[in-house]
Amino acid sequence: MTEATIATSQTSAGVVAKPNLVSADGKVQVLIAMQNIWKTYDMGAEKVHALHGVSFEVKRGEYLAITGPSGSGKSTLMNLIGCLDTPSQGDYWLNGKNVSEMDDDELARIRNQEVGFVFQTFNLLARATALHNVELPLIYGGIPSAKRHEMAKQALTEVDLVDRMMHRPNELSGGQRQRVAIARALVNHPSILLADEPTGALDTATSYDIMNLFEKLYEDGNTIILVTHERDIAARARRIISIRDGLIEKDEQIK
Amino acid sequence: MTFADIRESAYMAFDTVRSNKLRSSLTILGVSVGVITIVFMVSIIQGLNKAFAAQIESLGSNTIWATKFDPSIGHQPTSEEIHRKELTIEDADAIRREAPSIVGVSPFYRKINETARYGDKQSDTPILIGVTSYHEFTTSSYVARGRYVTDLDVEQRTNVAVLGQDLVKALYGTEDPIGKELKIAGRVFSVVGVMEPLGSILGQSRDNTIYIPITTFEKYYPDIEFPEIISAIIVRPVSRAYVKSAIDEMTDILRRQRRVPQGAPNNFGISSQDALLDVYNQLTGATYLVLTAISCVALMIGGIGVMNIMLVSVTERTKEIGLRKAVGATRTNILSQFLIEAVVLTAIGGLLGLLVGELFSVLMNKYSPLPAYVPAWAIGVGIGISAGVGIIFGLWPAWKAARMDPIESLRWE
Ligand SMILES: Nc1ncnc2c1ncn2[C@@H]1O[C@H](COP(=O)(O)OP(=O)(O)O)[C@@H](O)[C@H]1O
Ligand SMILES: [Mg+2]
Repeated sequence: MTEATIATSQTSAGVVAKPNLVSADGKVQVLIAMQNIWKTYDMGAEKVHALHGVSFEVKRGEYLAITGPSGSGKSTLMNLIGCLDTPSQGDYWLNGKNVSEMDDDELARIRNQEVGFVFQTFNLLARATALHNVELPLIYGGIPSAKRHEMAKQALTEVDLVDRMMHRPNELSGGQRQRVAIARALVNHPSILLADEPTGALDTATSYDIMNLFEKLYEDGNTIILVTHERDIAARARRIISIRDGLIEKDEQIK
Repeated sequence: MTFADIRESAYMAFDTVRSNKLRSSLTILGVSVGVITIVFMVSIIQGLNKAFAAQIESLGSNTIWATKFDPSIGHQPTSEEIHRKELTIEDADAIRREAPSIVGVSPFYRKINETARYGDKQSDTPILIGVTSYHEFTTSSYVARGRYVTDLDVEQRTNVAVLGQDLVKALYGTEDPIGKELKIAGRVFSVVGVMEPLGSILGQSRDNTIYIPITTFEKYYPDIEFPEIISAIIVRPVSRAYVKSAIDEMTDILRRQRRVPQGAPNNFGISSQDALLDVYNQLTGATYLVLTAISCVALMIGGIGVMNIMLVSVTERTKEIGLRKAVGATRTNILSQFLIEAVVLTAIGGLLGLLVGELFSVLMNKYSPLPAYVPAWAIGVGIGISAGVGIIFGLWPAWKAARMDPIESLRWE
């Protein structure tokens, strides 16, 4: 995992080649383009290369699972895709925009507009209602309150929880909490829905429900990227990228 | 910073208060105490100022005094000063003749604690003043009934007396004193007039006074024994605006009259109500300083409390900050949210402080002799200061929150 140099990526440094992302009708079809992405953690004495030279593309409307053993770099990749972090080397194009060199505020804006996160531990505000939780991205998106309410209710309807919108997380079951989190991820109509081990904290039956919900959202046209170490969960997607030691081991289309 | 930000922050603030009741109460209390001190201080000083201004006002026009040495408060006269030549009626005449900024000149003697007696009633506290007919106008204290001391009285050294209201009450009760006899230190005088009520200044009644002709005074009290007896010239300038030039003119005339060589210091003292005002301002200035120090300490304690609770709030919300950042909050969003949270906390303290301070000053007015008054600007200052404390002491915790790495904070347990 540790290497002294990052030889392969040196060549492209400074020259940014914009990939051909746009289809004939002018619509961006390639939603994600990762080009030779490196992520290096400087641990003082040694450098940890969590990703070394990862490249792949994701088209609009895909349902992708990223799998791999623990420590393989899944979360690192996921953070990069979700614009929570920037790569050490390489270019990342998201919806036609090169995000690899954006500053903090631009990244926050991209996260707000383009990405919907679903976390293993839900990450809901404990003392806020389901509705308020779902409204959160809209607050930072500067959406006026009447519109916010309407959009949040709509998102809660999509996850079949609108009747529980005034409940607080501790009044909801695990599966319901995750559905609130999914509604929050959906509310801004982001380009991608990014889920890191979304069923990791749920029992089998509830996991199954949540996976059905993702299936439905996929059929509605959402682009979904799922990070999981569970093979059977990954098998619900249409494409699986397997990574190991920071490299793509296998990229297969299934179904 | 948007309105949504403010609402979200207010929501966060109340959340913090709810989940840290004791800590936030203490913080709010600290800020309250600071603001109470400020409001209380301002209200007392403003009240005193108002009362003092009213008393100055009641003295009528702005008078100037000339004495043989500077009579300011806290000044112990030296023996040289005590043995100086007295100011004379001639000095007063010279001022009357020559000073254009002056409309009234009145030389007078004053003796404190003289005994006055009528029948079997006696008072040992009256102030006896030997005056000319000019005294009435010069000091704007007028006779209400009967007559004042006249030029003829002065010329003939008659034993006539004009009484202040306190003495009328103390010695004559419901009787009409005019035409009655009055014994001053055993000497028989005839009461010819009664003064209008003059009120009091700095707690001292101005109605406990007997006026007799200046020449009669000189006859009975040939020796001036400081501090029982003083001799002075009181002067009334054209208006308040002429105080300065009146003092200059008087100084010139008195230096000439008293033959002060060129370059030598004055061998007399001149003071005005403005000088009195200066002394007063020095006193309140010191009070301001002490109370400002106290409120600064209280606000400091409040501020440190705010900083502490905000640091706790930031730490407790680490994961929440990560989540907020993940869904699109910028550094500015997070910074302003925590700042507003701090300001909400201190503003609650500030408002409470204002309320209690205002209550204090109302009670004070009602149940104590000290006047108190809260001006509108003090309310603004109170709110402003408490919000300022929130911003200053909330800045570092808010900055800490704003700089958090979203991935790290999402991982925080
Ligand atoms: N912040 C970090 N600092 C240092 N090393 C890190 C950091 N985050 C991840 N790593 C390292 O990078 C590698 C990949 O981690 P991660 O992406 O979390 O793997 P996964 O999610 O697949 O378990 C691991 O060796 C991990 O120790
Ligand atoms: Mg992981």
